[in-house]
Amino acid sequence: MIFAKVIGTIVSTQKDENLKGKKLLLCKEVDHEGNPLKAYHVAVDAVQAGEGNFVLLSYGSSARMTEATKNAPIDAAVIAIIDNVQVLHTVKG
Amino acid sequence: MKLGVVTGVVWASKKVKELDGCRMYIIQPVSVNGNKTDAPLVAADPKNIASGGDMVVYVTSTDAAQAFDSGFAPVNASIVALVDEIS
Repeated sequence: MIFAKVIGTIVSTQKDENLKGKKLLLCKEVDHEGNPLKAYHVAVDAVQAGEGNFVLLSYGSSARMTEATKNAPIDAAVIAIIDNVQVLHTVKG
Repeated sequence: MKLGVVTGVVWASKKVKELDGCRMYIIQPVSVNGNKTDAPLVAADPKNIASGGDMVVYVTSTDAAQAFDSGFAPVNASIVALVDEIS
């Protein structure tokens, strides 16, 4: 899973049958502190996330493993809305 | 499977039901002698075996879902073992 910030919604009327009723979110990849990285992803919303939310994004075939996304032609899903990230330990080197 | 050290915890009260009760940790991949290798990643801990600073074994890709009793969870990595020692 990767950290992301929801930066928008994709509106689409013509789409694959298995994407009907699913919200597509435009997500910018961020680090654990919320600082933006380069990549962005279009992800299916599985937790009613909204713009500005700090979220956890699952990618690849694993993204299909939720009730909301099974059998859908997708490779990214928003699977959690993050409240807080806590640093517990630092690895040297 | 790879070795990693638990460096952080991700708190999320709203998540998909497949992840109910499952804690999510930030893992720093390390080599056998404990040095950093790849970039950190987020892994689920379905069997509740890890805590901060622990060295663990984690599994990635589709196989990560197999660490859940249901075998069905949208995770890219799961913690599957706690390392006591490497001999």
